[in-house]
Amino acid sequence: MLLFLVIELGLAWVLLYFKVRSLGADNAPWTEAYRFWVRVFALAFVLSLASGMPVLIQFGSLWPALMEKIGNVAGPLLAAAILSTFIFKSCFLGAMLFGQRYVSDRVHALLVLMVAMGVLISCFCLLVLVSWMHTPAGVNWTEGQYHVLDWWTVLFNPSLPWYAAIFVLASALTVGFLMLGVGAAQALRRPVNESERFVFRTAVYIACVATVLQGLAVAGSGQVTAQYQPAKAAATAAYWRSGPQADLVLFAVPDEQAAANRLAWTWRNAGSYWLQRDDSGNLRGLDRYAGMAPPVGLTFWSFRLALLVGLVMALVALITLRRTRRAHYDPGALSRGWRHVLAWMTFSGWVLLLAGLAYMFFGSFPYAVTGTVTVSEIMGDIHFDALLGGYIAYLVLYGVLLLGFFQLLRHIARYGVVPIARRRGRA
Amino acid sequence: MITELATALGVNAHDPAFWMPLVFMGLLFAIIVAGTVLDGFDIGVGCLALFAPADLRPRMLSLLSPWRDANEFWLFLGMGLFVSAFPHAWGSVMGELYLPLCLLALGVLLRSVSFELRLRSPQELQSRWLFGFALGSLITALAHGFLLAQVVVTYQDDAGYFWFSVFGGLSALAAYCLLGSAWLIMRVAGELRARAVMWGRRAVRWAAAGAVGVSVVLAFSNAGIFLKWSDGPHWPIAVTLWVCLLACFVSIEMCLQRMINSSYRTTALPFVMTLLVFLITLGGLGYSFFPYLVLDDITIWDAAASVDSLRLVLAVAVVALPVALIFNIWVYWRMFGLSIAPTPPEFKEQAPNEGGTVA
Repeated sequence: MLLFLVIELGLAWVLLYFKVRSLGADNAPWTEAYRFWVRVFALAFVLSLASGMPVLIQFGSLWPALMEKIGNVAGPLLAAAILSTFIFKSCFLGAMLFGQRYVSDRVHALLVLMVAMGVLISCFCLLVLVSWMHTPAGVNWTEGQYHVLDWWTVLFNPSLPWYAAIFVLASALTVGFLMLGVGAAQALRRPVNESERFVFRTAVYIACVATVLQGLAVAGSGQVTAQYQPAKAAATAAYWRSGPQADLVLFAVPDEQAAANRLAWTWRNAGSYWLQRDDSGNLRGLDRYAGMAPPVGLTFWSFRLALLVGLVMALVALITLRRTRRAHYDPGALSRGWRHVLAWMTFSGWVLLLAGLAYMFFGSFPYAVTGTVTVSEIMGDIHFDALLGGYIAYLVLYGVLLLGFFQLLRHIARYGVVPIARRRGRA
Repeated sequence: MITELATALGVNAHDPAFWMPLVFMGLLFAIIVAGTVLDGFDIGVGCLALFAPADLRPRMLSLLSPWRDANEFWLFLGMGLFVSAFPHAWGSVMGELYLPLCLLALGVLLRSVSFELRLRSPQELQSRWLFGFALGSLITALAHGFLLAQVVVTYQDDAGYFWFSVFGGLSALAAYCLLGSAWLIMRVAGELRARAVMWGRRAVRWAAAGAVGVSVVLAFSNAGIFLKWSDGPHWPIAVTLWVCLLACFVSIEMCLQRMINSSYRTTALPFVMTLLVFLITLGGLGYSFFPYLVLDDITIWDAAASVDSLRLVLAVAVVALPVALIFNIWVYWRMFGLSIAPTPPEFKEQAPNEGGTVA
């Protein structure tokens, strides 16, 4: 679900940009760009909305006891997310996709804006929930459940700004690379036209700016993690023994039995910034969290993987910018090999996202809500076979749907978009 | 009646802790009914597309097209309301129903995605997604039946109950097929209607068997409900409902038989009667369950979230409800009556070599 949600969020705002530009003097190429990418947006929207249902159901049946504990916080948030989706979908999305002929251009641009706002609001509600589960604030924990003291503090809990920034930037990155990849793949087969060059230009800038900002956001959020989830921070840094100074571990194989790193490649005394200090000024290592620390290997590696993918993406984006800047941002001016690289990196944003997600999930283990609710106490008692069968069925179905998405994307990238019509209440 | 209930619980009828769960229960029930009935003909037509000849299938799907947008949202709304208003029942209901819910999620996902992808895919791929939609509808219908059967026997899973679940699934499938074909009978003419009559005739008895079977099992596996029906002041209601149900099924059967033998006019009678059957069955279920969410275990007051959260959710719902109502009435008011297929627009014959190039 999240895979398509990021595309949806990013594209909604990019579409708004295209739409606004198409109101200007030089409108033909921008209108064409809007036409093409609105189809991708519609596909991503369909997939993300439809797969939201299984996520909700899985959330309920895998962790049945969770809602009993956090229902007072999570309930209104989920309700707000669902209802805002409902409102923007029923009021604005249909008109945006199918009603363009019936309204003026300016009104249509307004509709696109409302859809973009709606997607943002729904994402915001979900982000609040996730970040609140990692850094609970504004609540009172009594008798095994949370009671809300102050909604404002719940909404703007300490990690929310960072999570929101990371998520928005990740969606910008994903969409930027998607547009780069599609443009490059088109340029491999034929010379691209003006509209595709404009899209490519937009994408290059989005990708460059988003990678740089993403780096800053990750560095900043590390501080919040160190303060509120010190065990996660220690596991990320693979910092085993508490002490006054920490090395920044760039590469290592963490060994949980020996509580040490093998094959470590470190930067001496540079890692203290992202770890929590206790009262006596010492850094807290993993030895302080016996039994309650996240799985070190998984946390460590998923973070490194996300970082590596992010660096590669930044590099690729900057090189592409340098190479096409003088050539009117024509992907055809790139070498064939580089166009192949871009085409291969079309969905690199998803890899980044999945690695980041794995990091968030494993890093907060064993807690579901930091500090109070552990994952093991809310797990349902479902038979292992049933669980396995469910997973296999989900995997197969998601595979089929992903293939369908790729197939359609390829088709429209090659042959263009054929518009479809639908009228409400008529058949 | 409300004051009686309140005094039985020992609270004031104006206490929000008392009436808010009631309001949400009513809302949830309304959403469930709307979802079953309105999404029902959608599911039914989807299932029937499996049996239809290939050249009629696209027409069946395009008949559904205007309501897909609205129909796919009922389940979301219901789930969202359930989780936000009754978090304490959420766990015990969801935890028990892993497999049927999994099935439901898969079916709903498959059908809503394939419908939209079919709409946007090139001609040669469309039949593939159409099959996906039909399969998804089939799975969804079966899952609804499983869910209902499990809820009725309060999540017991011995061997006999398993076969009851299978029976529930099949009869839900039949009921949705009946609803779908009754809708088609009202909606279209020609070959499709003739086929819909035959489908309806095959489905109606299974649907009746399902409705009776579910109610009987509900009564006999829960002594409290049996008592509620047979004893006390409400038994005339129960009897009236049973008689209505019987009358509906008989009239559907007779109407379909007549349509085969003599009459061939557009009629909304089977559809209205099937709607009535659905309403009665669901109403009976709701009546039997009230005030429990999990039978004899969790009442709606046990399950409700704290008053503050409920107030917040209610505020959100009050904002959203008018929107939902206006939108839905606007969408659904054309659901009834005969549909005339759109004809492709007539293009002017373009004379060759007139006015320069023709791209």
